[in-house]
Amino acid sequence: MRFRRNLLGSFLSFVVVIGVWQAIISFGHVAPYVAPTPLDAWRSIVENWSHLWPLTLTTAKETVFGFGAGAALGMGLGVLLSKRRFVQRVIYPILILSQAIPIIALAPPLVLVLGFGLTPKVVIVAWIVFFPVTVSVLDGLANVDRDLLMLARAYGASPWRTFLAIEVPSASASLFSGLKIGATYAVTGAIIGELAASSGSSLAMFQHAQSAQLDAAGVYGTTLIMTAVGMSWFGLITLVEFFTTPWKRRSIARRAGRHI
Amino acid sequence: MKHRLVRLVTAGGLALVAAITAIAPSASASSSLTKVRFAYDFPWPDMELIPVIVAQKEGFFKDHGLKVSIVFPPTTSTTVQMLATKDTDIAMLSTSDLVVAVKAKVPVVSIANYSMKNNWGLFALPGSKLSLATLKGKKVFSWGDTWTTAMLPFVLKKAGLTAKDITVVNGEADTPLLKAGKVDFVTNTTNYAIPGIGGKPVQIVGKAAGVPAVPVWVYATGSSYAKKHGKTVSAFMAAMKDATQWSIDNQGKAVRYFDKAFPDSGYTHSYNVKAWKLTVPLLKNKSGDFFVQTKKQWTTLAQAMVDVKQIDKAEKPSAYFTNKFLP
Repeated sequence: MRFRRNLLGSFLSFVVVIGVWQAIISFGHVAPYVAPTPLDAWRSIVENWSHLWPLTLTTAKETVFGFGAGAALGMGLGVLLSKRRFVQRVIYPILILSQAIPIIALAPPLVLVLGFGLTPKVVIVAWIVFFPVTVSVLDGLANVDRDLLMLARAYGASPWRTFLAIEVPSASASLFSGLKIGATYAVTGAIIGELAASSGSSLAMFQHAQSAQLDAAGVYGTTLIMTAVGMSWFGLITLVEFFTTPWKRRSIARRAGRHI
Repeated sequence: MKHRLVRLVTAGGLALVAAITAIAPSASASSSLTKVRFAYDFPWPDMELIPVIVAQKEGFFKDHGLKVSIVFPPTTSTTVQMLATKDTDIAMLSTSDLVVAVKAKVPVVSIANYSMKNNWGLFALPGSKLSLATLKGKKVFSWGDTWTTAMLPFVLKKAGLTAKDITVVNGEADTPLLKAGKVDFVTNTTNYAIPGIGGKPVQIVGKAAGVPAVPVWVYATGSSYAKKHGKTVSAFMAAMKDATQWSIDNQGKAVRYFDKAFPDSGYTHSYNVKAWKLTVPLLKNKSGDFFVQTKKQWTTLAQAMVDVKQIDKAEKPSAYFTNKFLP
């Protein structure tokens, strides 16, 4: 029931967005070379699909690989910083500084060093993803119930066993918040990397070419695809969270109905 | 004491009145000038803006009753849209951008050539043994713009190659990639590439590159703006003629005007001097005229863009240009 309500809510949101978009174009008398209707954007996707599909796969690959690298780095750093206070005091300001550097400024030098294949895009995506994951893991581990930790110690649990059985499950909510934030921004990093330099065609460069051609439908269509990649990845992370954290879902114990 | 105070106050009052009187005529003169927004073809300024800066600084715009402000587009492909949405009145564009605009039914028209020659081509580092014959398998930088997309197939045709024989690298900065050895060739025009790369770069330009003899840049305006403000457009072009000639006759001073107007342009004075010197020979046709467009240039370019499938069909030349606003 709740799932159906959520689905209906998502569908309605989608309808509202499309409706507002169409209304702005229709009532605002917007020229087609400035902005297309939703239908024209969709048509452009369909017409160019044979060209767009391999580009979409490339962007998705950059997003996934970059996200994986960033998430792994973020989780590792989060655990390290939570276990070693001194390291946290030294490294944490550097991590904050890393995020103050505009990623747009970072992309061109990365391309010069790493070339224009997959690597610089993966690095850029990882750069964007690792920080929210690090912070969320750090916060999650910092808020583990101390009583549970002491209980585990009282029962003779090893640090590793305590980490796996208590700390990881406790920090999972926070971890997945960070992963979902990272998932949303990951495709942006892939696009920035593609714009800095790409050999051959890429989704970003295709959109750039459509913009140069004043093909607004093509530009918006490509934007929709990029959005879909980002949303799909976010959805996948949410699904992983759903299946890996069953204790977060409320379980209702059925009673036999006996009066005691 | 009192007398002295009265004299001081009176003198001060008279001085104030004199100052206001001096300012007032300038203010009213300024308000009688027609305001024009001029959009450049690039998001940041470079030396091709020199004639417009000179027109501002030397008063050529003012002499023709204009007050021109310069606006920069957010990206390299939005100048045409700025004309269409009336976010600017007059602009500088590449000729290929204008052909694409007409195909997309954007109501714009070219009012003058900026340059008269096609000085676009491929450039490699000085001393490299690269040539059209060795183009196969090489990495070529492209800005991803309509002009490069239109011209590159001509180069490939001249070299007897297809698009699959080279790797096109799209990006936002060409010279750093060339100097870092990440690409073998960059694509640009001589007046940017030569000072940017430095020394004597290997050049495959114009006829040697197999590209059509069509100008690269034009001045353009919205069709409705041209209809309603024809006199303003004519005045603008008259001022630009004076300013362009002055910029040719006083190259050093013209460059210094640019340097002073845009100290943060990212270009050194030395680069600007070299680049403007290379731009000057492009500005007049064989008859020594500025700006004059021909039907042939537009037909040639439009057909070239049809041949590389950038547009479906070529319109008649009058759809692209008019010379009626030229001085």
